[in-house]
Amino acid sequence: MYSEITSGAVLGVSAYIVRVEVDVATGLPCFNMVGLLSNETRESRERVTVALKNAGLDIPPGHITVNLSPADVKKEGTAFDLPIAIGMLEALGYFEERMTKNTLFLGELGLSGEIKPVRGVLPIVRAAKDKGIKRFVLPRENVAEGAVIPDITIIGVGDVRELLDFLQNPEHSYVEPVITDGVCFAEQNREDGTDFVQVKGQETAKRAAEIAAAGFHNLLMLGPPGAGKSMIAKRIPGILPPLTVEESLEVTSIYSVAGLLKGEAQLVTDRPFQAPHHSISQAALLGGGSRIRPGMISLAHRGVLFLDELPEFQRYILDGLRQPLEEHYIVIARAAGNVSYPADFMLVCALNPCPCGYFPDRNRCRCTEQEIHRYLGKISGPILDRIDLCVELQPVELPKLQSKNKGERSADIRKRVESARQLQKERFKNTGYRFNGEMDSSDTEKYCRLGPEEEAYMEHIYHSLQLSARAYHRVLKVARTIADLDGKEEISKEHLLEAVCYRPPATYFR
Amino acid sequence: MLQTTGYIFQMREGRDVMEERAYAYWLSAMPGLGCNRIAQLMQRCGSAREVYMGSEKIWQGIVTEKHRLCIEEAKKGWDVKRAYENMQRQGISMTILGEKEYPVRLSHIPDPPFAVFYKGVLPQEQGVSVAVIGARACSDYGRFVAKQLGETLGAAGIQVISGLARGIDGISQGAALGAGGKSFGILGSGVDVCYPEQNRKLYENILGQGGIISEFVPGTQPRSQNFPMRNRIVSGLCDVLVVVEAREKSGTLITVDMALEQGKEVYVVPGRITDRLSDGCNRLLRQGASVLLSPLELLRDIREMRGEIQESSSEELPAVPEGCSEQEKYLYRLLDYTPRSLEEIRCQLVKSNKKCDSSTLHMTLMEMCIKGHVRQNSPGYFSLPI
Repeated sequence: MYSEITSGAVLGVSAYIVRVEVDVATGLPCFNMVGLLSNETRESRERVTVALKNAGLDIPPGHITVNLSPADVKKEGTAFDLPIAIGMLEALGYFEERMTKNTLFLGELGLSGEIKPVRGVLPIVRAAKDKGIKRFVLPRENVAEGAVIPDITIIGVGDVRELLDFLQNPEHSYVEPVITDGVCFAEQNREDGTDFVQVKGQETAKRAAEIAAAGFHNLLMLGPPGAGKSMIAKRIPGILPPLTVEESLEVTSIYSVAGLLKGEAQLVTDRPFQAPHHSISQAALLGGGSRIRPGMISLAHRGVLFLDELPEFQRYILDGLRQPLEEHYIVIARAAGNVSYPADFMLVCALNPCPCGYFPDRNRCRCTEQEIHRYLGKISGPILDRIDLCVELQPVELPKLQSKNKGERSADIRKRVESARQLQKERFKNTGYRFNGEMDSSDTEKYCRLGPEEEAYMEHIYHSLQLSARAYHRVLKVARTIADLDGKEEISKEHLLEAVCYRPPATYFR
Repeated sequence: MLQTTGYIFQMREGRDVMEERAYAYWLSAMPGLGCNRIAQLMQRCGSAREVYMGSEKIWQGIVTEKHRLCIEEAKKGWDVKRAYENMQRQGISMTILGEKEYPVRLSHIPDPPFAVFYKGVLPQEQGVSVAVIGARACSDYGRFVAKQLGETLGAAGIQVISGLARGIDGISQGAALGAGGKSFGILGSGVDVCYPEQNRKLYENILGQGGIISEFVPGTQPRSQNFPMRNRIVSGLCDVLVVVEAREKSGTLITVDMALEQGKEVYVVPGRITDRLSDGCNRLLRQGASVLLSPLELLRDIREMRGEIQESSSEELPAVPEGCSEQEKYLYRLLDYTPRSLEEIRCQLVKSNKKCDSSTLHMTLMEMCIKGHVRQNSPGYFSLPI
C-alpha cells in the first residue's frame, strides 16, 4: 500500500517539485516522517492524523512512513499537510490512483479538517507548469493567486471531506475545477490616487524625478520638513512604465513567498513602492531571518525603495545596500545554504539639511555647524557614490499651494519616460545593460560620446567645479538620460549643464 | 572700584623677582580666588610670598573658613618652585599686575586680572587693537563680514582680538592672520588647552603672528563660568569692539556691556530686521552704538580717532564680471552674500517682469558657478562667492 503525490516548495523565489511518498504497512503502529524536515513540517504528522479523524475518516493502526523527496533539501512550511493526507488516503485505497496523477497538491490542514492558505503558491504553480503539470489542488483562498498562470486546471477546496468527495466521484461533486484562461492585464491605474497633478511648485524636484525615472538613476532629495519630499517620492512609481507581464509575475512571486498576497489579490500590477521606517533591521531590509524571507529591497523589486530621513538609518544597515545596488539581486548566505532574491530597485532618499531641518534659514535653525556636519556626515559615502541625482527642495509658500495651476499629470510625464526608455532599449540591445543608470564608468565613455566642443566644455566644468572622476561619469550618465528625454542622440552643452545642476555636491556631505 | 595700582611690587633684583613670581603663580592657581580677593590679600600682605607664608589671620574676612581649608588642602600638594618652572618649560609666560609687561589697557579696567598667562606675545601697547566678536552659529552673511573685517584689519596692521571661538571669532582671526596681520586669542581655559578643538590650526598659526592669552593658570579646563571673565579681557584689551552678529540674548551682548563699562568704542554690524541673528545687533544700534558701514569705513574712523591723515579710498560693491550675458548680469546684481534659494531668485525675477522658468534659471546659475562668478552653497542655494 504505497502512494506518491506531487507537491512543491519554494527556494528563494523559484520553486521545485517535491514528491510526497507515503507507505502504509502492517506492523507496530507508528508514524515516521523523513526527508530533512524543519519543525513546522514535522508537526504536520499531528495535524494530518487529527484532521483526518475529525473529518470522519478511519485510519487503521499501521506502520506509516512518509518521505519527502528530494530528501537532501531542507523542507520548510506547512504546505505538505494536504499532500501527506491525500497520500495516506490513496495508500489506504479511498480513491483510485489515477485521480492524483499529474496533479499537484498544496495546503495546510486545520485540526477540524479544513484546508488553509499557504505561502508561495504562484512560484510553485509556475515551476510545476514548466514541468508539465496541468492540474492543481489548492486551498480556496489561493485559487486567485494560482489563476494568474494560464491554461491550467485549478481545483479550489476548503476542507478534506470536500476534496475526498471530489476525488472519489468527480462528476457528482459540487467542487468545480477552474480552467484558467490567462491573465487579464489591466492598464496600470494606481489605486491610491497619487498623481503628480497634486504636486504644486517644486519644478526642479519634479524634473529630477522624471530624469531619474527615465534613466533608472538613484535620486536624493534634500529639503526642510513639509517641502514635499515624500509626496514626490510616492509618485515616482506612477511615472515609471507599467510592469510588463513578465515583471509582474516576478514581483507577484516575491510577494507570494513573503506571504503578502491576501484574499482576492491576483497579480501585482502596480510598481512597488516601499518606504521602510529608519528603525528597520538589516534582516528586514535585505532579507533574512531564521526562516529566510525577502527583505524590503526585494519587495521593492522593479519599483522604488524610498528611504526617508536617510541619516537616521544605521550606517551598517545602509552599507548592506551596496552590493544589491550594483548586482540587482541579493544573495543571503546562511550555514544552511544560500538564497538569492531579486532586488532591482530604484533608490530614492530624502533628508533634511540639518538636524532641525530648517538650515540655511538661520531664523529658525539654531543647529551649530558641527551638528550639521555630523548629521550630513552620517550618510555612508559608498551609498552617496551610487546616487546620480541630487536636488534641494525649498519650502513652498502659501500662494503656490493655493494657486489653481495644476502640475503636470503623471501619465504625461510617463509618456516621456517611456520614449526615453525606448531609446535606451535600442542602445543597449546586445549588452547586459537596460538603463543609463546602470552603465559603469568604462562604458560611460562609449555610450556618452561628446562632440569636440562639448568635450572641451565638460573639461572646463570638471576643473571649475573640481569634480571627482566618479562625479564626472555621473554627470555624463545623467546628461545621456536628459538627451534621451529630449529625443536627441547627441549630448549637447545644455544637456551637460542641466546634468551638472543635479550632481550631488560631494563637498557638501563631508 | 578697586585701586588698580594699590600695590606695586617692591621689585627687587634677581632671585627675589623669580621667587615672588613663583608665589604669584601659586596664588593664581588656588581654587576659588578671583582677582578681587587676590587684590585684597595682596593689599593686606604686600607680596604673594607673604600670603604664602602668612598665618590664618590674613585670610580673615576675605574667604570663608571652609574655603580657607580648601586652599590649605590645595597648598599641601603644591611645589611652588617646580610648578613655576614647569610652566616656563612649556613656553608659557606670565605677567603680574603692576609689572612692566602687564598690558596697560588691562590695568585700566575695573577688575584687572592679577596675573596674565600667554603664549607668543602680548598685544603692542602703541598699536591699535580691535575686537571682533559674534555668534558661534553664524549665518553666511556674518561669516562673510567677519572674514572681510579680519582681512581689512589684518592688512592694515591692526591687532585683531577675539575669543578663538567657533563662528565669527575664529573666522575674523583666521582672516586677519591670512592677510598677514596680528591676532590675539583670549581663552576661557588655560593657554595650553585649545578650545574648541576644531580651531586647533588657528591656535597654532596664531602663535607665530600674535599670542594666546588667558588669566587662568595653564591646565584649566574650559568651564562655562570662565567665559564671562574671558570676555572682559577681550573687551579690556581692545580699543574698539565690533559686534558682527548677535542674538537678542547672547554672550556677545555681555561682552558689549563690559566694553561699555570699560569705556571702549563699540561698533555694530547692522542686519536685516527679519534675521534673528541680527536682533542683538540692531538693538545695540538703537541704544546708540556706532554703525559699522564697512570695514574700510571703520579703518577711516580709527585713523581719525588717532589723528592720522585720511586716505581717500572708496568702497565698492564687486563689479559685474566681464563676459556676462544680460541675464547673467541681472542675476549677478540680484545676488549677494546671503544664500538664496532658486525659488526666491525666481520670484524676484518674476516680480521684475523677467520671464524665467526654474530649469533655465537653474542652468544659468550653474553656468555662472562654472565660470566662478557664483557660489553654490548647497544643491539648491546660491550666493556670490565669498
